[in-house]
Amino acid sequence: MWRDPVVPLIEAVDVSKRFAGGLGRESTLALAGLSLAIHAEKPSIIAVVGESGSGKTTLARLLLGLAEPSSGEIRYRGTNLRALDRDGRRAFRHDVQAVFQDPYGVYNPFYRIDHVLTTPLRRFRLAGSRAEARQLIGEALRSVGLQPEEILGRFPHQLSGGQRQRVMVARALLLQPKLIVADEPVSMVDASLRATILGSLRELTDEHSISVLYITHDLATAYQVSDAILVLYRAHLVEAGDVGRVVTAPRHPYTQLLVSAIPRAHLARDWLAQEEDSRRNGVNPTDAGCCFAERCPVAMPACLSAAPGLYRTEARRAVACVKYHEHPTLPPGDPGAVLSNGGTPPAPFPRFSG
Amino acid sequence: MSEPILRVEGLRVAFDHPLGKVQAVDDVGFALSPGERFGLAGESGSGKSTLALAILRMIKPPGRIEAGEVWFAGQRLADLDDEGVREVRLAGIALVPQGSMNSLNPVLRIGRQIADAFADHGLRLGRTEQERRVKALLADVGLPPTVSRMYPHELSGGMKQRACIAIAISLRPKVIIADEPTSALDVVVQRQVIATLARVQQDLAAAVVLIGHDMGLMAQFVDRLGVMYAGRLVEVAPIAEIIANPRHPYTRALIAALPSLERRGVLAGIPGLAPLLRDLPPGCAFHPRCPQATDRCRIEKPMVRDIAGAQVACHVA
Repeated sequence: MWRDPVVPLIEAVDVSKRFAGGLGRESTLALAGLSLAIHAEKPSIIAVVGESGSGKTTLARLLLGLAEPSSGEIRYRGTNLRALDRDGRRAFRHDVQAVFQDPYGVYNPFYRIDHVLTTPLRRFRLAGSRAEARQLIGEALRSVGLQPEEILGRFPHQLSGGQRQRVMVARALLLQPKLIVADEPVSMVDASLRATILGSLRELTDEHSISVLYITHDLATAYQVSDAILVLYRAHLVEAGDVGRVVTAPRHPYTQLLVSAIPRAHLARDWLAQEEDSRRNGVNPTDAGCCFAERCPVAMPACLSAAPGLYRTEARRAVACVKYHEHPTLPPGDPGAVLSNGGTPPAPFPRFSG
Repeated sequence: MSEPILRVEGLRVAFDHPLGKVQAVDDVGFALSPGERFGLAGESGSGKSTLALAILRMIKPPGRIEAGEVWFAGQRLADLDDEGVREVRLAGIALVPQGSMNSLNPVLRIGRQIADAFADHGLRLGRTEQERRVKALLADVGLPPTVSRMYPHELSGGMKQRACIAIAISLRPKVIIADEPTSALDVVVQRQVIATLARVQQDLAAAVVLIGHDMGLMAQFVDRLGVMYAGRLVEVAPIAEIIANPRHPYTRALIAALPSLERRGVLAGIPGLAPLLRDLPPGCAFHPRCPQATDRCRIEKPMVRDIAGAQVACHVA
């Protein structure tokens, strides 16, 4: 079995999350047996894409320690999050930071912007003096493309959504974490500002050696900024691997559907005509079978009897579809080289123009 | 060309603000042929939604319509009394407002919310007839009849948005204005909702105004596109012309801001920020962000010109 030679920073080992249903309702499976390893030594951006309800945010909350898995383990430097002692928890809270979706809701409107930047410095005693704190904050703001004198002393409502979201990135950066979990950081920001925020995430990785877990429903931006990608569908991992391969030559029928459903600014108007393909195919899904069977254009009887394994089709790609059953299976609980950034370093990344 | 179903001329909307007047819509005019799909694109704050509300005379104080005319099916809306305008809304021009899928009443069943539209417009129907019509409308938008008995929280985002379209088409309007109907949905569901909109539009032979900022969606759906910037229409042209040969630098920037699936590392933003409407720069409002701005752009406001079938408000186009 392939094993990471060094202990990863954060590791999900065969993690599932089930939300109990109240009042006689059925429980909901939010994440099914996912394994993932993120190493601090090889900073990279890992995108997690899927429709709403696919389990993206559940994965983020599990990795941040905001929710507990129903089965499996989340490990921080080899120790189960639940078993961390006081110092371990403190180190975890320092190393792993979050940037959330809503740049409007995360601020307390009564405090100046400075408040969200000075609090973490105080909590983790990162600055010896007020002057040092001001210098650290200034550096962090400048590295996300903001001028400290335009930001500090202001109230949240005086900044644009894009500026507020960049302040959140600067806040995360202040702590010099090893991993930032960014849950839909640009979905509430205008297209024109998206590039700037995603550009600052990319700089975190390239210049500050911070890994980013980029959670999004937008496959196109994931393709633009990330190194690796995980595609989720209804709690299940359906395809994972090198982002270039997965997006330009998707193998799983769901990934293929996702790529084809992106409307392109082309003269060819083929987008609506392909809509018929994404309807239900009349197959009745079974609990035991593949999660995508009822919408899959190439579903076979085998898809209903058993869930597909995770087949490693290439060195850096795995697909959960029975079409690829002749490839070796990744055993559950083993992230392998596909779901880990610990293997070969990612290809150098082209620079942004925006 | 046939008689336009909707004609907007010189429409100006202003909001009174203690710090000065905010010109949200500035001298906007366009015409819509029956059955045409027209797109309105631009960043947030460019006046797209305000324009939609102004067409339906739904601007509330401190906003006011300063000037301009709206003609629907040959009728000048300004000549109608309040009751007459109310008849045109929904029965003539239906609006699917932004975020409407989240404004369904959470304590009423979907069927009741659709039936309310009939009652509101004085249609007195028997119980069975009402039920039959509700189910027919649900079928029109591709929802099963059981949805009629469901509450909004039991539906997915795409289903809620289709329920909103069902309400919008309940009185068979001739114009459907859809304000960012799919901005909160993922791409697969977005395509289903837009396909639904295309289908009901064809059934009703209605014209559609689609408001949004995704140039990919516009390229795939509309026949003609109007690009708005700081309250003005800066370019109007057939969509093929816009995609193949965008003339206004802002139109080009909007298309370039779309992340490419062909080449990595070419994610481009639009430099700078959208201007404050109460403090617009002199000359062309886009000049501080425009890569081609000249001295003339900084002084003189560009008028709309005809360039090979496109209307463009730009000195350098």
